[in-house]
Amino acid sequence: PETAARQRKEKEPFEIDFASPLDFKMAETIFTPATSNATISLAKKDWKSKTRNLLPDDKHFNSQQLLSLFLKPKARMSSRRARFGSKIGAFGNA
Amino acid sequence: TQICAVFRDAQKTTATHRKLVVNLRKIHETCCYEPTRPNKASNDFDEADFNNEFTRCVLRVMPVKKSEGAGEKIIRFAGLFLRHANDKDNDLLGENDVDASTMPETPSTRLTTQVMEAVLPLLTSKDKFVRFRSTQLISHIINSLDAIDDELFQKLRHGLLKRIRDKEAMVRSQAVLGLGRLAGNQVEGMVNSEDSDDDVETGLLERLLEVLQNDPSADVRRSLLVNLPILPNTLPYLLERARDQDPATRRAVYSRLLPALGDFRHLSLSMREKLLRWGLRDRDENVRKAAGRLFRERWIEDCAGDGQPEDGEAPAEPAAPSIEGMLELLERIDIVNSGVENGVALEAMKGFWEGRPDYRDAMEFNDHYWETLSAESVFIARSFNDFCRTKGNGKYEALLEEKLPEVTKLAFFLERYLNVLIEAIRRVNSQENVGDDEEEDTVEQEFIVEQLLHIVLTLDYSDEVGRRKMFALLRQALSIPELPDEVTKLTIDVLRDICAPDTAGEKEFCSVVLEAVADVHDTIADDDSAQSDGEDSFHSARSEASGDSTPTKNGKNGKNSNLSEEEAREKAVKEIMINMKCLHIVQCMLSNVQGTLQQNDHLVAMLNNLVVPAVRSHEAPVRERGLVCLGLCSLLDRPLAEENLTLFMHFFSKGHAALQITALQILTDILNVHGAQLLSANPTLLKVYVRALRSGSRNPEVQGAATLAVSKLLLGRVVTDQETASELLKTLIVAYFDPSTAGNQSVRQALNYFLPVFCFSRTENQDLMTSVALDALHALYNVREGIDDDDMDVGDEMASLNTIGACLVDWTDPRKCYTPGIPMDADKKNVNGDVHLDFAADILEKLNSNFTKEEKKVIAPLLGKLYVSPTSSEEKIRNLYEEVSSAVEENILSDATSRNALYKIHVSLGKIVNQLGEQDKMSTS
Repeated sequence: PETAARQRKEKEPFEIDFASPLDFKMAETIFTPATSNATISLAKKDWKSKTRNLLPDDKHFNSQQLLSLFLKPKARMSSRRARFGSKIGAFGNA
Repeated sequence: TQICAVFRDAQKTTATHRKLVVNLRKIHETCCYEPTRPNKASNDFDEADFNNEFTRCVLRVMPVKKSEGAGEKIIRFAGLFLRHANDKDNDLLGENDVDASTMPETPSTRLTTQVMEAVLPLLTSKDKFVRFRSTQLISHIINSLDAIDDELFQKLRHGLLKRIRDKEAMVRSQAVLGLGRLAGNQVEGMVNSEDSDDDVETGLLERLLEVLQNDPSADVRRSLLVNLPILPNTLPYLLERARDQDPATRRAVYSRLLPALGDFRHLSLSMREKLLRWGLRDRDENVRKAAGRLFRERWIEDCAGDGQPEDGEAPAEPAAPSIEGMLELLERIDIVNSGVENGVALEAMKGFWEGRPDYRDAMEFNDHYWETLSAESVFIARSFNDFCRTKGNGKYEALLEEKLPEVTKLAFFLERYLNVLIEAIRRVNSQENVGDDEEEDTVEQEFIVEQLLHIVLTLDYSDEVGRRKMFALLRQALSIPELPDEVTKLTIDVLRDICAPDTAGEKEFCSVVLEAVADVHDTIADDDSAQSDGEDSFHSARSEASGDSTPTKNGKNGKNSNLSEEEAREKAVKEIMINMKCLHIVQCMLSNVQGTLQQNDHLVAMLNNLVVPAVRSHEAPVRERGLVCLGLCSLLDRPLAEENLTLFMHFFSKGHAALQITALQILTDILNVHGAQLLSANPTLLKVYVRALRSGSRNPEVQGAATLAVSKLLLGRVVTDQETASELLKTLIVAYFDPSTAGNQSVRQALNYFLPVFCFSRTENQDLMTSVALDALHALYNVREGIDDDDMDVGDEMASLNTIGACLVDWTDPRKCYTPGIPMDADKKNVNGDVHLDFAADILEKLNSNFTKEEKKVIAPLLGKLYVSPTSSEEKIRNLYEEVSSAVEENILSDATSRNALYKIHVSLGKIVNQLGEQDKMSTS
């Protein structure tokens, strides 16, 4: 029952009451101007962005690059590994 | 009242807005116009009352939060009504006033003015939601109405302009929506109005473009992106957003801006390529998808469709598959350039075939197709072949079976285009002045042959007739010295593929390629005998000592004195060229060889006759290519690698940047293949790496290559010696955060990828990271101290030490590390947490040392971020708890943040120690 009550509370839709007269608090919210332009404005340092909000060029690093040889990119690293391959495999399965 | 009721209903759903607008307009008319049927209600409720009530209702929306949908619904309703009312009023006025320069006043304009005047002052309200709603309303109404009274318009415009610098992004977003439309109107207006020298007007567009580039909020930038007019002077700014930092904004370029742009052929060639490349290779998957869709659904339509829908509207039905359209599409993206390896066209076409089954089925590759290949059509075949072979787990293989000719036939076609290419090259070579057309034609022929070879590379050679035909053809082609480098490389790749994969196959492959090398080399001799007769004996002697013919030795030979100086120079150049060609063939061959050098006589002979002399050559290009070949040979022979390690290091220390990079790559591959014993046996080699890693300011490219090289060594666990590995890892961490690498994206992005991958892939790696973390942080502390505050803003240039500390803690978090047998997404609550306990112990040690107060302030808070797991080893928990307890007792920390962190870990450890104590009691009782 407790959760049901909470759910109902959340679902209660927001509605603007157009009929009632404007209460003081709301009028104050609407009509109070900002004390100064600065308090409602973006700080000057944020007017300019050094990077123009652009990404740097992507270099597209991936695991393939890290796991291959420079001179023989097609060859899997490496013959040394292959030699011990069986051992590592056995270890992994254990 | 009724107005009130209308507004009440309007906030609930937009579905009834039409009806409500009509209702409200009825009331409006009753109030404003001569009552057609006098009504008691309307007598005491006139236009002024209506306007006041309308304005009052609108004002009620002002404080409504952004998250409430009702607010936006009312604003849209108000816009819809004002538009409707204006239209009606204008209808009532009739046609006669339409082209008048001043707007006639109507009840609707009076209402608009009143509402706007009431809302205007709220633009500078103290409350952010009031500013948001008022800006939203004004922007919305500006966009809803066709025309606004000029005086009012100026005020609105001025008010909105101020709001593009509002503190709140949501307000700026709305301001920009209204102004974007105005900017469009003004540019249009300027074209056909006389008083166009209005600076303020052009200023608006400029200011909006500035916001587009600089606004810190992506929402603002995106909302401008889709609302600014697309004009020749705005387009570059809009397209630039394809590289925006925000993924959703980048996607909007591909899914909204570019489709709205109309025919993509209006873009420049280089822009098309860039957009395609950026989009298809974006880091965000959704951007990639949007770019792929743009290419295969819109751009193809621009070429294949009948070209009718110019105004950016998608045609109702995609046009039927058109080969012509496809050919044009590829031509429009400059396939000869974008279709090379690593060019973007291959990715674009992969997505195309994936997403266009209609084209897949429509393709037909008959004999006529192959006989009349162009760069575009051959690329269609190549990309189709690639797609069918690599995608869909073989379900498209049948399609190839059906559509592609068999190996023998393809070999014939390849032969034909190879001949055309060689002829074209020879023709160009023999001419003094080569026309651009001919040059271009050669490039296209070369491209065609390359693409055919890419197809040939994927074929199945179980058919013996086809295999023999192809083999003979390629073997013969390889002997042609004019064969371009890329074609040579592909030819060799195919040859390796045709030979059996075993040792015998490799031997056959080597002997065939080396025969071709000998043929190429002999062309030097052939030319000589053609030029000067009577020196046969000399030449045959030289060609037998093949490879030994570096031009300098030739120069010493007195027998050449009868040649003029120019002829001699020409001959020398030719020899260098042929030497370079031979070395290139050998290099391509060696990158396909796996076995050991000594077991292959052909290779040993080649090493001694061609590679070694080349390395000693006085011609730099020959020497450098020889170096690469020697490196490749060293990968096949450990003693050879050991012998030449010093030589490679010498090239690193004495060479230019590109050579340094080559040397580093060779050294790294050698270590990868032969193991790190070579590194421990040569202490200077470690210095080479460390020096290269720190070479940033002089040689950013070298630093980038070194970063990648060291990453490979560490990740491949080639370097396992604790001390060496620590040194290297520490150097990498420092390089990652050091402001000096801020501009070096190769370094930053490589490390951004490597560091987490390294740490999270093995517990041993995390241990290593922990052991160097504080040293690295100390080094970075000094770097930061060393930055002169006056010179630059430290915050801009370097991450804060807190951020760096947080990274180090994160990388060493035991919960994030991969453990064999446990899936990555599993709940890792009970993982062994020793690594963070070690980290904590290190921190405490530093806190007890003679570090400055300031530096202790940096490291102490890390204690609070560490993960304290109850399943760590008991001894470590107890030891650390003791140390922490005494640190608390001795009150070694001066500031609150540090103390809190210490208390936090003290409590966490305390709980676990208590539990351990209870377990002890249980077991003893």
